[in-house]
Amino acid sequence: MLKKNLFRNLKAYCISNFFAVGIIAINKYFIVDSHVNVGGVFAFSEFIIVPILMGIISAWFWRDMNLSSGELTGKSLLNGCVTIVLASIFLGEGVICLIIVSPLLFGSIITGAFIGRAMFRRNNNTLNVSIIGLMLAIFVADSLYAHHYENMVSDTIIVNAPPQQVWKNVVAFKRIKEKNKYWLFRIGMPSPVESTVEGYYLGAKRKCIFSNGYTFDEKIVTYDENKNLTFAITNQPRDPEIMGHIDIEQGQFLLKDNGNGTTTLIGNSWYKLYVFPTWYYDTWAQSITRNVHLRVMEHIKELSETK
Amino acid sequence: MFRFVTRYIGFLKSVPTLGWLFDGLLKLWAFFTQPSLLDWMDEIETEVLKWKRTTSSIHKYGGMQFNYKGKEIGHIHSNGLLNMLLNRSVKAQLMLDDRISDHHTFKNTGWISFYIRTVEDKEYALKLLRKGYEKLIEKDRYADRCLADWGPTGQVNAIAYC
Repeated sequence: MLKKNLFRNLKAYCISNFFAVGIIAINKYFIVDSHVNVGGVFAFSEFIIVPILMGIISAWFWRDMNLSSGELTGKSLLNGCVTIVLASIFLGEGVICLIIVSPLLFGSIITGAFIGRAMFRRNNNTLNVSIIGLMLAIFVADSLYAHHYENMVSDTIIVNAPPQQVWKNVVAFKRIKEKNKYWLFRIGMPSPVESTVEGYYLGAKRKCIFSNGYTFDEKIVTYDENKNLTFAITNQPRDPEIMGHIDIEQGQFLLKDNGNGTTTLIGNSWYKLYVFPTWYYDTWAQSITRNVHLRVMEHIKELSETK
Repeated sequence: MFRFVTRYIGFLKSVPTLGWLFDGLLKLWAFFTQPSLLDWMDEIETEVLKWKRTTSSIHKYGGMQFNYKGKEIGHIHSNGLLNMLLNRSVKAQLMLDDRISDHHTFKNTGWISFYIRTVEDKEYALKLLRKGYEKLIEKDRYADRCLADWGPTGQVNAIAYC
């Protein structure tokens, strides 16, 4: 019996994960890539429908084991861990990405396992085929749909110094030594540490250096001294954490003279997302971008206010 | 956490599968923090399914739903929150015990909420579900009686007045 159950578990983990790998590979190379240039997109259905189907598949192998809800949740958790290991090996995903994706993945696999349990208890084949057919139809429709999402994040701080004093620190700044406050930076996500520029003029090349040594190459496209510094990102690092998931397109610092010796510093970033659903990933993207802004802007504030 | 989500981003429950997904995460949370809750939910399900003409299904916003002849008796989200519809007078009576509360979103209705946190709560949840079940049976009987009183030709009136 023990051997039989072990075999069922192995089949549940292997077949559900092979299914996921197979369907994502088909989707990535035959469907979605036709819409985009950079490494394809990960559509909503790949993070929700596929894991739900994985849960249903695993529930099919567990259907005669009479599992309690706790056992079903535990086994689904293990199934999700197998998926995460496979994603890091075959998709080359970074640790931070996997942390970000895991709530969606675990939630969907567990949901699928419970849907599967309910389906196979009823044993209504027509209904079961309809549910799986509907999910596959959603998957195909979502994959064929052209995904495009761009957003902008804006943050503001007040610097107790006039714009002339702030400007030089906006264009380039010395290395940030302040400890990271944001939890994702603390656990290893690269954070901005330094910005260099080849000159104080329009068209000058700028570099934003991150804690792991990766560099964003930038070009100043608006140079309105003491007012507006806008730079286009010309090259972003090939880091697995961001590659094919997000493109930072443009950054901007606006300085507004408050007329009382202080400056309102506004940081704007424009980005394009390649991971969906946006209600989930854009929440993360906004949070990360905001914390990149704040780390840089607080450093600029500190440098500018130091006499 | 559940209160925060239902209060501030509860509108997202209308996004297909999102309620289920959230409930899946609640199961995961319970698995680590209070595994016995998942067992109690199984025990409640086993007991309720012994009652005649009851079925269980997945609630549209996630969780385990119990039905009598296809009508909802109540549902339990995977954080142990039992939601069910009683009538206002039964609700007012139960509120005196100070164990149940207004439904977390539908205030001033017959809906109630009850958190299952202990094994005693599980027993109380079963009592509540039984009340809901009996209410539905009574409603069903009343409809049958009404239909019988109006007779076969008066079915339209029976539907209108019962």
